[in-house]
Amino acid sequence: MKVTIPNLGNITLIAAKSLFVNLGHEVIMPPPNSKRTLDLGVRYAPEYCCLPLKIVLGNFIEGLEKGADTLLMVGGWGPCRFGYYAETQKRILKSLGYKFEMISLEVPRGNLLHQLHYVHRLMNKNSFSTLIKSFRLAWAQVVAIEDLEQEALRTRPREKIKGETTKILQAGFSLMERAQSVEEVEKIKQKTLKNLERIKDQGKEDLIKIKLVGEFYVALEPFVNHNIEEKLGYLGVEVERGVSVQPWVTSALNLNFLKGGQKKEGPVEKAARPYLPHSVGGEGQPTVGNVVLASERGLDGAIQVIPFTCMPEIVAETVVKKVSEDLDFPVLTLIYDEQTGEEGLVTRLEAFVDLLKSKKLNRCLT
Amino acid sequence: MGNFKIGVPRALLYYEYSLLWIDFLEGLGAEVIVSSPTTKELLDLGVKSAISEVCLPVKVFYGHVMSLKDKVDFLFVPRMVCVEKGAYFCPKFLGLPDMLKSSLSPLPPLIEPTIDVRKSATNFKNAFLEVGKSITSNSKKIYCSFIQAQKNFWLYSAANKLEEGDLNQLQINQPINKSSKGEGISLNVALIGHSYLLDDSFVNLNLISKLKKAGVNILTAEMVSKKEIEKQLKKLYKPLFWTLSKKTVGAALYFLEKKIDGIIHLSTFECGEDSLVGEIIRQESHKYPSVAYTEFVFDEHTGEAGINTRTEAFLDMIIRRKIYESNHT
Ligand code: SF4
Ligand code: SF4
Repeated sequence: MKVTIPNLGNITLIAAKSLFVNLGHEVIMPPPNSKRTLDLGVRYAPEYCCLPLKIVLGNFIEGLEKGADTLLMVGGWGPCRFGYYAETQKRILKSLGYKFEMISLEVPRGNLLHQLHYVHRLMNKNSFSTLIKSFRLAWAQVVAIEDLEQEALRTRPREKIKGETTKILQAGFSLMERAQSVEEVEKIKQKTLKNLERIKDQGKEDLIKIKLVGEFYVALEPFVNHNIEEKLGYLGVEVERGVSVQPWVTSALNLNFLKGGQKKEGPVEKAARPYLPHSVGGEGQPTVGNVVLASERGLDGAIQVIPFTCMPEIVAETVVKKVSEDLDFPVLTLIYDEQTGEEGLVTRLEAFVDLLKSKKLNRCLT
Repeated sequence: MGNFKIGVPRALLYYEYSLLWIDFLEGLGAEVIVSSPTTKELLDLGVKSAISEVCLPVKVFYGHVMSLKDKVDFLFVPRMVCVEKGAYFCPKFLGLPDMLKSSLSPLPPLIEPTIDVRKSATNFKNAFLEVGKSITSNSKKIYCSFIQAQKNFWLYSAANKLEEGDLNQLQINQPINKSSKGEGISLNVALIGHSYLLDDSFVNLNLISKLKKAGVNILTAEMVSKKEIEKQLKKLYKPLFWTLSKKTVGAALYFLEKKIDGIIHLSTFECGEDSLVGEIIRQESHKYPSVAYTEFVFDEHTGEAGINTRTEAFLDMIIRRKIYESNHT
């Protein structure tokens, strides 16, 4: 079984890959996202569906071209359309004549047998303890990657030589890729953190701080969001991420019972409550809650990134407009589709950062 | 409470539940004011007050709310989450009251019961009874009013269903008389899609009356029994989890299987459900080459002339195909 996994930043490139390699599968990663990936997706996906579906479809086609015969996806049960992605992609790829098996992991519902079959295939005759071990390693990688990336967001606007943060990060990640134990992952993480600390200009304390919120995939996949985090960093902005893979994995695997039963209302949902008391699927409610919290914590602004036609984020966008007005907290909503160009984006980011800067200056003067 | 007015926007799920809602509210002694059918002005109001990314039906809803808001004491905008196991409404219904409150102010207070049967089997009823309590303290009146409204609602939906075998009586695949060149036959065409597209003749640019004028016998998902829809949906490898789209897809599969003459799928440009559901129906339709299939996509810029041309072309194609078939069999 030659498995391919859609690209999602370093998370799939390192952690997901390591999980399946350690279970003894041959993993064929799709080539890095490129213009071609996007073009393939756009050509074969339904015209009005959201951007993530198109790019992942492109990943699958490029993975199949490289010889994969098994496609790995996660599913779900709505209300946003993500839950029906895998099924739609499977149909499209079959109609294009590709031969493959699609393994779409989700909480079983009326299709328990399919899911058991999938798990059986992925377990690959390994013992349960091997599975746990591989999973723990992959999980440690996920946590380390996200911690390092977040730290890099603090370092980049303070680096003395442009580009050094990215270099250090990449060096750390290429070691991380080969890590064989949780301890090793931890060691690499600590070392990379130290390296990042070293290049910081400690004099730069009071930078513009922006919360990055929005749809999961667009927020986390740098090719898709045109590397928005790095761009902001070079504009001297410290970015704080509002989206993370970790809660998403636990809820997708329905591991919530590990954390004490039913899903509880977290601080983010609670903050969203006066404006959006009900979940609307995807990251809709967290987007609103994170904006409220960011304003309370004195950040300078927020950027919401969403794919064109995204259902939960359009609800969130509507609500966030009100939040932004009420709290006098600037929010920039960026809508991505296949035509989104890099130049236009840079102009808008620069204008937004200028606005935040002058607002901050005014505040200091009065 | 004395005589007060509750506004019900004639948009979105009004087209599914109006009977239930209005009967219930009137039974409680409220004066119910339904906004007038969609017009250009109304749509413009909606387009102006909603963010541009939102789908056409929600913009239309905004327009109706705008037209009502100064005339009523309350607005009835339920938060429809889930009315059956395993399926939801789309995220925009889940956040509809909040979207309105965020972008339109001042608004009269909203009556916004959350309908979510996942919470308990009696949630649907309870949500209504809860609404009743905020209007009158007479609990017997509330209860009776709900039961009566629900009964009427069920009777009405049942009356519209096709009896088993009805479709055959419609003489599906009516043979074409060669010499008539297709004159005088009536085609069976199904219109599928969200009811707020199908039943709002302003939004669909009078599609129904156009088809009727052309002598088309129109079939809709309303005519297909719930049981039949569930049966058809079993054909999908993965169950669908949207209440509205289940009906659309189930009905489409049914009409395909019955090999009616044609199916038109009405969808809207920014609709999240339609983008995937349209793909499923399109692919399934390939399995039934004798059924003509097309999709009409609506947004606020769709022009009537374009729809006219496309309708004519679609009907022409069906007739030509039928003539061809009758010549070759
Ligand atoms: S959250 Fe938005 S972009 Fe992501 S799958 Fe759902 S609708 Fe598409
Ligand atoms: S189902 Fe589609 S058309 Fe209806 S509200 Fe949701 S996105 Fe809009």
